[in-house]
Amino acid sequence: MELLQIALVGGVLALDGTSLGQFMVSRPLVAGVLTGWVLGDPALGLLVGAILELYLLVSFPSGGARFPEGATATVVAVAVAAAAGSPGGVPLGVAAGLIWGQVGGWSISWLRRANGRFVPEPDAENPERLMAAHIGAMVLDLARGTLVTLVGAASGRWAVQFFAGAWPLDSTDSAGLLLVGGAVSAGIFLRDLGGFRRRKFLLAAGVALGLLGARLL
Amino acid sequence: MAVLSRRVLASAFARSFLIQGSWNYRTMLGTGFAFAMLPALRLIFKENPVALEASVRRHLEHFNAHPYLSNIALGAALRLEADGESEDAVRRFKVAVRGPLGGLGDALVWASWLPAVSLSALSLVWLGVPGWVAVLVFLAVYNLGHVWLRAWGFKAGLAEGMGVARSLGRVALARLTERVRALAALLLGVLLGTVLGGEGGLGEAGVIWGGLAAAAFVAGVLVGHRLWRPTAVTVVATVAVLATFGWFL
Repeated sequence: MELLQIALVGGVLALDGTSLGQFMVSRPLVAGVLTGWVLGDPALGLLVGAILELYLLVSFPSGGARFPEGATATVVAVAVAAAAGSPGGVPLGVAAGLIWGQVGGWSISWLRRANGRFVPEPDAENPERLMAAHIGAMVLDLARGTLVTLVGAASGRWAVQFFAGAWPLDSTDSAGLLLVGGAVSAGIFLRDLGGFRRRKFLLAAGVALGLLGARLL
Repeated sequence: MAVLSRRVLASAFARSFLIQGSWNYRTMLGTGFAFAMLPALRLIFKENPVALEASVRRHLEHFNAHPYLSNIALGAALRLEADGESEDAVRRFKVAVRGPLGGLGDALVWASWLPAVSLSALSLVWLGVPGWVAVLVFLAVYNLGHVWLRAWGFKAGLAEGMGVARSLGRVALARLTERVRALAALLLGVLLGTVLGGEGGLGEAGVIWGGLAAAAFVAGVLVGHRLWRPTAVTVVATVAVLATFGWFL
């Protein structure tokens, strides 16, 4: 029952990724907290979601590009992390999420090819068929997201039981390991913004503000 | 100009949130665009089913743009259809705007606004603000910009039709993008500061993890997007090796 709930959360959040609204409830930070809430551990969901948000900072649903799917990846990651328990839950969950993000991306490409086969041609006999095709494509996307999440969460939770108890790092080192990966995304984003030379003053001012905020709060 | 009722305009605007519902590699946004136009086309051509069919067909053709900024084209196309512009004029207009609306939208929304709001929410998380507050701030701030952009684009397109490029110039989306990018650089610094100095951050993880993270950051700046996939593979492989190692112990 819990697995079905998780799968439905993944399916609904995946819809927001491209098909419906793009209000960004599909971003890892939001998806993580929501999944954590469903599983009774929103703090774990927040932690996993925040780390994946950092990793996917430079990944967005631009045009026809293939991109890792954040929503299903995060739901799977939180489900795996919750099943594993601490201290290995978070790194194992994030790793599962990174793998499943790629699977989600492939499934989106498949969906787009499938949509191309059944949307009406501009010279089709009955162009009003587009209503059925358009809504049908969204239902297919919901089914895709649900299935991708179901398979990911079920297989991830099965696999993680063999390794969870044997994770050799404590939570501080686990966080350090994951933040090293996240630092690459932060660097890539700085490059996208024009690089260190162009942004050095704003970046330095931000670091000072961040350090000050961390000290005060 | 045929009168487009408020109800029909509201329906077209609401449908614009589903414009990517049947995104595909053949017509891209084309089907979604026609889906959003349909209530208005039914009203405009209610006396002429043949013209209605022809108009739906021309909007089913290939079209692509950023989903939020596609509302500019949507509003303008509604205006052109209501004004009785020729099929060629409508088609030429859509071909002319799709490239700029894609490029501007990607730069402003995906590459600047979304990461900037995301960075501010992540900073709040690392500062210890309750998670639900950070999520609400993220959703509220992001969607304030998102829905404003959609509504402004729809209204501008509808008001100016073919001349909507003037609105794009007045709002100066390129200048707005640059400002958001500057803000994003500041927020990236804030996040780095909070991760370095905050509880459970790199400051507590020790010199080795701090040094590795600094090296990873510099590598990201130097190499760019090509490094993302190898990084993800390396993180997954490291976690797998450590987990297997622990299992054998």
